Amino acid sequence: MSWIREGELNFIEKLSANILKAGPMPKHVAFIMDGNRRYARKRQVERQEGHTQGFDKLAETLRWCLNLSIHEVTVYAFSIENFKRSKDEVDGLMELAKQKFIRLLEEQENLEKHGVCIRVLGDLTLLPLDLQQHIARAVVATRTHNKCFLNVCFAYTSRHEIANAVREMAWGVEQGLIKSSDVSEALLGHCLYSSNSPNPDLLIRTSGEVRLSDFLLWQTSHSCLVFQSVLWPEYSFWNLCDAILQYQLNHRPLQKARDQHREGQALQQHEADRACVADLLQHHGNGKPLDAQRRQEALLNYTASREERVQDFLGALQHKRDSFLTDLTSQAALA
Amino acid sequence: MVLVYEFVWRVLHVLLHIHRTLITLFRIRLRNWNGQLWSRALATLLVPIALSFPKQKKLVPAPGKRVGRRYRWGADGKSLEKLPDHIGLLIAEEEPRYTDIANLVVWCMAVGISYISVYDNHGVFRRNNSRLMEEILKQQQELLGLEGSKQHSVEFLNNGTDKQDNQVLSCQAVVKVLSPDDGKLRIVQAAQQLCSAVEQMEKTSKDINVTVLDSLLRESKSTPDPDLVLKFGPIESTLGFLPWHIRLTEFISLPSHVDVSYEDLFSALQHYASCEQRLGK
Repeated sequence: MSWIREGELNFIEKLSANILKAGPMPKHVAFIMDGNRRYARKRQVERQEGHTQGFDKLAETLRWCLNLSIHEVTVYAFSIENFKRSKDEVDGLMELAKQKFIRLLEEQENLEKHGVCIRVLGDLTLLPLDLQQHIARAVVATRTHNKCFLNVCFAYTSRHEIANAVREMAWGVEQGLIKSSDVSEALLGHCLYSSNSPNPDLLIRTSGEVRLSDFLLWQTSHSCLVFQSVLWPEYSFWNLCDAILQYQLNHRPLQKARDQHREGQALQQHEADRACVADLLQHHGNGKPLDAQRRQEALLNYTASREERVQDFLGALQHKRDSFLTDLTSQAALA
Repeated sequence: MVLVYEFVWRVLHVLLHIHRTLITLFRIRLRNWNGQLWSRALATLLVPIALSFPKQKKLVPAPGKRVGRRYRWGADGKSLEKLPDHIGLLIAEEEPRYTDIANLVVWCMAVGISYISVYDNHGVFRRNNSRLMEEILKQQQELLGLEGSKQHSVEFLNNGTDKQDNQVLSCQAVVKVLSPDDGKLRIVQAAQQLCSAVEQMEKTSKDINVTVLDSLLRESKSTPDPDLVLKFGPIESTLGFLPWHIRLTEFISLPSHVDVSYEDLFSALQHYASCEQRLGK
């Protein structure tokens, strides 16, 4: 399969994998695959060759992740900022992506056998139409697979993703599906492109840069960040093991921080619901103060109706997104 | 077989913890020596001892004198190729030491950094805002002396929107104390504001974009996004630090803020000065 290299680990690699797996393992790893161009300069080959090798390395890394029972991987393939590069380079990258997606579609059987679900996160409308159509076909074809998940961030920046999520919530308000008081951290998270995935446990950036470059800023607030100096096309199984080791060392304190944050979130939601109920009772009540039990009932009712509203809204949002993709695929079929 | 793997895993992690503890111990002991070369050699030896994997960018702190270089701080700042406009100090440790943090803030000011943010993920600094500020003013007097304190005036930005664009006098620094509420919660509040405007038909959903959201999340027009965040402590994470603002921020890790020296800070700034930002290009 072109996107996931076939093969098994050798004896020593298998041994190390088994040792690592005795500890907590990340379920979702994100990669910033940086260093293709520097690699090309180092090897004195064309830039395009650097990107191609970068893709091959991705295929190999996905194989290692599966061997290590890491079933969800997110990669930063192309940022909206990368459109600033020379036309030749951008066209080259678009062409590479197109070829890879076409190849992917030819391997339907393999994808089904391995249960690979491909998702593409980003503002697809910024891409050339033919690439959009190939992407849509790949995503729709693998939608029901659930053994392993590959999320490719293409035409993506985290700020656009967050702004888009806010826009979707505003759309929900316009459609009368939710109220502005329903907006919460959890709801915003459900409106991101990555809503079908849990937050990454581990984020790895190669090539020695120590910044996030607008990648998954919301989702990685409590993830383990590992910056490695190796260039992406030179990434090895041992680099991956090193990153996982870092994750294991940070696991407990991060878990604690995450739990604390979640507790804080739940408290905030509870307080917000309380405030809304108090507001409602003031406006619709008959002036008499309600006893504690009635207030508690009103709160429970309000929370239940808010949750129902939110579920309906998220269903409508999913439908909107699915329709966008199926429209693209039917356009492709007609073409 | 599984038990064997578990056993080996435990041994591996014990070794790693010992390795970490040794590094910390050596750091503390060597701080009292002045043999810089010797300490660097030892530290370099210790780092790869247990593992032969390539290590990530962590600084090996050098021991050094605290006061005494006071008059060179400004010159040091000018000697760097670039200095961050806004530095974030992320304390990812359980017990904060206010004096050490105050020292860091004062050094940052002395070196010429205009905006300094202090953050911890439990909100401890926010709750003890006034204590931290007192400590900063005290250390400013001690480290910079009376003359220096007059030259470097500091403004504390309290949380609540500071709408007025502060006149940035030469050597005036702005110190802000942040907590996780300034991160995701702030973004959610901005989202609620926009949705509320849509509810009142003052805006449509199509009006919402990155620029609109960014202007709501910017405390004041003049505060830049953090260019550099120094993270103190063993946890490798941003721990909720301003998710929106850190898209291009460089992260440099330092082992601890306890007994941190000016040299530690300066070598981090030197690292920052040497990094190249391509901004997508």
